[in-house]
Amino acid sequence: MSWRNILAAIFVLWPMACAFAAVEGTEQIESDISSRNIAIESNFTGQRIVIFGTIENSQHSEFEKALYDVVVAIRGPKGTIVIRQKSRVAGIWVNTEAHTFANVPGYYAVLATRPLGEIAKLTVLNAYGLGFGSLNLRALGPNAAASAANGSLNVFRSAVVRIRQKEGLFSYKSDGVVFVGRNLFRATIDMPANVPVGQYATDVYLLRNGEILSHNRSQLKIQKQGFERFVFSAAFDHPLIYGIVAVIIAISAGLMASALTRRD
Amino acid sequence: MFEIYLPIAELSVNLLVILGMGGAVGFLSGMFGVGGGFLMTPLLIFLGIPPAVAVATEANQIVASSVSGALAQWRRGNVDIKMGSVLLVGGIVGAVFGVQLVKLLREIGQVDLIISLSYVTFLGIIGALMLIESVRAIRRVKAGGPVSMRRPGQHNWIHGLPFKMRFKHSKLYISAIPPLMIGTFVGVLAAIMGVGGGFIMVPAMIYLLRMPTNVVVGTSLFQIIFVTAAVTILHSATNQTVDVLLALILMIGGVIGAQFGARAGQHLKGEQLRALLALMVLGVSLRLLFDLVIQPEELFSVGPALGGH
Repeated sequence: MSWRNILAAIFVLWPMACAFAAVEGTEQIESDISSRNIAIESNFTGQRIVIFGTIENSQHSEFEKALYDVVVAIRGPKGTIVIRQKSRVAGIWVNTEAHTFANVPGYYAVLATRPLGEIAKLTVLNAYGLGFGSLNLRALGPNAAASAANGSLNVFRSAVVRIRQKEGLFSYKSDGVVFVGRNLFRATIDMPANVPVGQYATDVYLLRNGEILSHNRSQLKIQKQGFERFVFSAAFDHPLIYGIVAVIIAISAGLMASALTRRD
Repeated sequence: MFEIYLPIAELSVNLLVILGMGGAVGFLSGMFGVGGGFLMTPLLIFLGIPPAVAVATEANQIVASSVSGALAQWRRGNVDIKMGSVLLVGGIVGAVFGVQLVKLLREIGQVDLIISLSYVTFLGIIGALMLIESVRAIRRVKAGGPVSMRRPGQHNWIHGLPFKMRFKHSKLYISAIPPLMIGTFVGVLAAIMGVGGGFIMVPAMIYLLRMPTNVVVGTSLFQIIFVTAAVTILHSATNQTVDVLLALILMIGGVIGAQFGARAGQHLKGEQLRALLALMVLGVSLRLLFDLVIQPEELFSVGPALGGH
């Protein structure tokens, strides 16, 4: 076959394939986020983001209700954390036990059209990392094995989730995704002022009868900007110079105050 | 409105609240002639600023307030540079040690506890002693006796120590060991508690070293400038916990407040001032003690893994 024939075949077959897919193809999900870049500046008090999308090739007819489920998961940069438990020692509350967990997302939000347990089986949810139960926090350190054996590690795991929820860094909304039209959906989430900076992934899953049909990912970047970024990177990249500059600022402020208030 | 995001503390606070706090503590320090770090650091912690950031940032602010305070004393010739330098040598050693201690405590998760415990202990002792002393003074005034607390200079155990130095300005010929030790101790406190340490140094200079009262405040401020500057640089280099934006807002509030405080202080009697200050110091100490003793709502706390991981 010559190149000419191959090209001709593609020319003929391509539109046909497309038309075929449009009629019989499987459902695909497409989505985007309202802002792909979030800047933390000095007036930052949190940010509302909207994830919206549509189902391509939907087989949803008007008579059926809720044929599809959509689950949105937003995951922030992962890090190693330490969780400590206080207990009473000589009358005061002191951190006594501690565990280190690796790969804990700094931010984790799950939004769904209805409760996750109704949407899919636990095995499916866990395979895709949906829900707090699927976080699978891995303990590090010498005392991890012993604590795992007596079950005390689970107390720490649930404490991590509880504290992060209180801080607004972990969240789960079982009615967080709503269909606006038959195939158009949207999800709104308010990120608090204390969101960690870094690269976020927003995953949108389309499910039907408990099975994942399609998955779409968009990236989201949160970074400090302007003065905030300048100060933060100076403090961590050039800590010694930063400290010296901080002292120079303070000495100048003191001299200025002294000059302004000198009355004799 | 007026919410401002602090780049190192990594949280959003109200600008007016921070300015007001700086102003209020500045007012009190102007009125009482104290640094105010022992009030500001706990206030910042109550506000939700991480204790390690509160301590390092407050040290930065004290640099500014002690520069203007020391300059005023310098103009009146109330600074004993030689004594201040000996105290400073000790202070730097203490600061280096204290900052490393904070680093270690952060890694093992005990820094908040040690900061609180240091405050409870030192503020409790100092507050109680001040209260007793000022109540006695007030009674004495009412009884019509002399107000002066100063006893004539007498020899104590300090005069038996070696390495004697002559401090002309203070009219003293004493061993360098006690001022070095006092300086070191204050340096450690500056690094751990985010204070200048005047509340320890001033009584120590009067009662232990028997320095003339007129040079005590100026000399202690002279030492505090350099020790808190060292603490700021060391904390920044070791723990990255100095928030310059927060420090700057506190400096502005502090300067304004100190002006009004100094004027208000002129209308109050010394022993009444001391009694008021003593009550405030005791109040802060009790509040921190209360937080340590009462069972917290949440027994668990999450933090980033520091060092060795």
